[in-house]
Amino acid sequence: MATDYGQDRRQRQQRAQVQSRWMEVYDPVRHLDPVLVLTALALTLIGLVAIYSAKLVALSAQGLPPTTYVSRQLLALAIGVVVMVVVAVVDYRVVRVYAPVLYVVSVVLLGLVLSPLGTAFGGAQRWIVIGGFQLQPSELAKLAVLVVVAALLHESEGTPHAGVVLASLVLTLLPAGLVFLQPDLGTSMVFVWSTAVLFLLGGVQARYLIGLTLSGIVGVIVALQTELIEDYQLLRLTAFLDAGDASAAQTAAFQTRQSLIAVGSGQFAGKGLFEGTQTSLSYVPENHTDFIFTVIAEEFGFLGGSLVLGLLLVLVWRGLRIAILAKDTFGTLVAGGIVAILTLQVFVNVGMTIGIMPVTGLPLPFISYGGTSLIVWFAMIGLLLNIHMRRF
Amino acid sequence: MALPSSESSSSVLRLTFLAVLVITLFLALFARLWFLQVLAGDRYVELADSNRLRTVVTEAPRGAILAADGEELVRNRPALAISADRQALLNAAGDPVDEEAERVIERLAELLELEVEEVIERLGSQRRSPFRPVPVALDVTPEVVFAVQEQRELFPGVVPETLPVRQYPQGTLAAHLVGYIGEISQDELLRPEFTDYRAGDLVGRMGLEQSYEADLRGTAGERVLVVNARGDVLDVQRDREPVQGNDLVTTLDLDLQEATEQLLEDGILASRSIRRDDGQLLPSTAGSAVVLDARTGAVLAMASYPSFDPREFVGGVSVEYFESLLDEESEDPLVNRVIAGGYPPGSVFKTATGAAMIEGGHITPRGQVECTPAFELGGNTFRNWNRGVNEGMMDLSDAMMRSCDTYFYALAFDQWLAEENAEEPDEVVIRVAERFGFGQRTGVDLPGELGGRVPGRQWRQDYWSERRDTYCRQAEEASPGSRAEELMTDLCRFGGAWRGGDAVNTSIGQGDVISTPLQVAASYQAIANDGMLLRPHLGKEVRAPDGTLVRDIEPEELGHIGVDDQTLAVLREGLERTVMHPRGTGQSAFAGFPLDQIPVAGKTGTAELRPKVPYAWFAGYAPADDPEIVVVVNVEQGGGGSQTAAPIVRNIMAHHFGVVLADEAEFEAGDEILD
Repeated sequence: MATDYGQDRRQRQQRAQVQSRWMEVYDPVRHLDPVLVLTALALTLIGLVAIYSAKLVALSAQGLPPTTYVSRQLLALAIGVVVMVVVAVVDYRVVRVYAPVLYVVSVVLLGLVLSPLGTAFGGAQRWIVIGGFQLQPSELAKLAVLVVVAALLHESEGTPHAGVVLASLVLTLLPAGLVFLQPDLGTSMVFVWSTAVLFLLGGVQARYLIGLTLSGIVGVIVALQTELIEDYQLLRLTAFLDAGDASAAQTAAFQTRQSLIAVGSGQFAGKGLFEGTQTSLSYVPENHTDFIFTVIAEEFGFLGGSLVLGLLLVLVWRGLRIAILAKDTFGTLVAGGIVAILTLQVFVNVGMTIGIMPVTGLPLPFISYGGTSLIVWFAMIGLLLNIHMRRF
Repeated sequence: MALPSSESSSSVLRLTFLAVLVITLFLALFARLWFLQVLAGDRYVELADSNRLRTVVTEAPRGAILAADGEELVRNRPALAISADRQALLNAAGDPVDEEAERVIERLAELLELEVEEVIERLGSQRRSPFRPVPVALDVTPEVVFAVQEQRELFPGVVPETLPVRQYPQGTLAAHLVGYIGEISQDELLRPEFTDYRAGDLVGRMGLEQSYEADLRGTAGERVLVVNARGDVLDVQRDREPVQGNDLVTTLDLDLQEATEQLLEDGILASRSIRRDDGQLLPSTAGSAVVLDARTGAVLAMASYPSFDPREFVGGVSVEYFESLLDEESEDPLVNRVIAGGYPPGSVFKTATGAAMIEGGHITPRGQVECTPAFELGGNTFRNWNRGVNEGMMDLSDAMMRSCDTYFYALAFDQWLAEENAEEPDEVVIRVAERFGFGQRTGVDLPGELGGRVPGRQWRQDYWSERRDTYCRQAEEASPGSRAEELMTDLCRFGGAWRGGDAVNTSIGQGDVISTPLQVAASYQAIANDGMLLRPHLGKEVRAPDGTLVRDIEPEELGHIGVDDQTLAVLREGLERTVMHPRGTGQSAFAGFPLDQIPVAGKTGTAELRPKVPYAWFAGYAPADDPEIVVVVNVEQGGGGSQTAAPIVRNIMAHHFGVVLADEAEFEAGDEILD
């Protein structure tokens, strides 16, 4: 019988000390990933500078303050940091439980976008306005689909059967279809890609993976044949293939060509901050959103471009590390899925600016102007932190 | 871990697969970025600059060309023009950008009374900078300008402008000398002298406009603009005002030029009513006249008939007019025959050959040779022009006065024999003729001058070796025993030989001698100027637009003709007696000219160019005792020199010295009456 004195007391005290030490070790707050957070913040800061530089001349010409976009983006950053902290604090297993709710909200919002409540810009209906803020639900839906499919696969404990695979597909294709109708081909591809990677990581059998890949290819061919994809999308998709010839400003190749000139003329060390002519003189379209990378590559050259890609690679590294360290399948899947989405968006976005990928409207994570995107990416960082902190 | 170990390793394997995929994609981005920015960066820098910088050129007003007294021959005048912004109306393919643009073009065509296609064609001229309005119509009426200004909404992108264009206050006067300007061609743009020209620039095409291009052109204004993708001008990176071209003051005596052109034309037209012995009228198809200042070589007047109207070239020459100039019937009006007409000089060449015979040692200035009716050489008979009369013993002076061919034949044959017997033949005729300025360009400041030719052994050899194969083939093809076969066989075998007949022909400026009226004028100028040959020139000085002197164009000595004083004196005596001695060949033309007050020296020439009617020459200077001017006239197929050319020279001299002649247009009938 244990007493509260003598050896017992000493042993109990020692045990308490050990437990306390262990508790400290296991305390989630002691297992933050500062590299991850600092890298994300560094990328956002670079993005702010690039947005400022991209719009400096154009905004001044319009008589608007040159900080118009930057201040909005700063607000999004502040919200994003708060969201990150909130997401990191709540145990991610709770997130898993509430994933269906998040999913339903996202799908409803996507539906609203297509309703008369949605806001159209440049031929696409992608936003809804809530209290003076433009919200882009497709960004939120990325996260929702990722979480809900990861939760589903988690339930099947590493051996998902056909029913789970089918359910995941339906859950993915519903929002993907809604986004496709906006139309936003690029983002709808992200859903498909993220679920595909989750299938890979979640232990879906190889024959299913191969079967799905083949039917995906058939689907694309059918889509092209039946003109499901609008002409301008097809033009944009194929324009990069013949970007070499000098075509008129109106043609689809113009964007790619101007983007290539911007990037190429940056050379090794860049033209210097605010010295980029291609981007500041609006030769490159959408240079604060989709083509933001051209601003960095033109003004800071290969060095600047490599720095941004390097920082994104650091995020990938931390994400993959967290996926490996995660204590359950859900954590591994979410971390791996975030890495996959990040990589796809970086590759498609940067690839588009340097002429190896078609022109699709995918933002560059953390860098491109766009509040919803930034907030959602900080939410994803929060999730990664969460999984990392609770890995024991 | 919750997962079984096999599951765990499978999971790690799958994550590794993802990691490899991710890193591969990133590597692809790095590689492409390296290629674009580091390996191909230079090319993209150029593309970026050409994107953002636009150069707008403002043409500099071209300098004027003035006569010696300051009267303008060419100047700029402001012309009302209708221009249009190409980018606003036409797309890259050269079609109207939209229906609105199409309607604007239709309205513009109607207003300018042009075809729609014509307007589109002018607008689409890629030779103009897209950042300058393209002139669609030049010299429009003020009403047209008002119409555009008052109905701006009907003509978006159309702007009335005032452009500097060439104006010729003296009309067609001195057209060949002034020349004209035109848009630079693609071929010219590639040449090194036009490196700082750009498409659409105007460049001197002929005459002084061409030879003084660098002075007249000025420096175009240039604004380098920074533009954004929409073409909005954001900044001016460089702004250089156009600098007007300098004025060229010429040596031309405006009054004398006018008179020379008129008297040449009158003389040619009048000579066409002269009947030759065969009853045919003289063709006198074309001609030229030049007046030099005997002391400086300055061109006081230069005329070539027929001529053209430089005003037709303003703003681009019409196809019809240009084709009419090129028509064979119109006798090449664009050719300045004074410098580009190559003719056998005939007897006017005898000054050079006379001096050569003395230098060759075959005769002294006062040494005498019999002027026989004909000279026999190797079965060929070389006749004197006067047909059959033995004129007795003659020295050089007499031979000049009577233009005795046989005097020169005999001496030229002696010279030829000496050359034949020499180890290294000293071709004295070539040597002396070149000192007189023949056989090479005088270097006059006009483009397109012909060099002429003084033939000799080397020339004959070269000429033959080029054509030998043709001769030989023709000899084989000719019918056996025919005259053609004999001739061609001879040419095939011995065509490279410089024969006695060649030397004899050359001595009287016939055969293969070719010279321009300007060369003849320069050689007579040298005789008149104590033997010093000067470069004929039209440029006197270059002045800045504000009138300050930029540079003087000094007379330039080309060299002494290299004859001793006695020879020169005898030559001059011969030339004086040609005009002033009762038996001189030029005497009849100068009947009625106050030779006692203004003595004249000169030489007639009648150059044979069978089967054509002979070409008439007269070269002279006055006053003979203190020469002021040298005048040379050539009339193509104008018959005898004394018949057609000498009266024109006489009239020009009369005009210059203010002499009023009883009957200016006095021409004699007959066939080559006096050499």
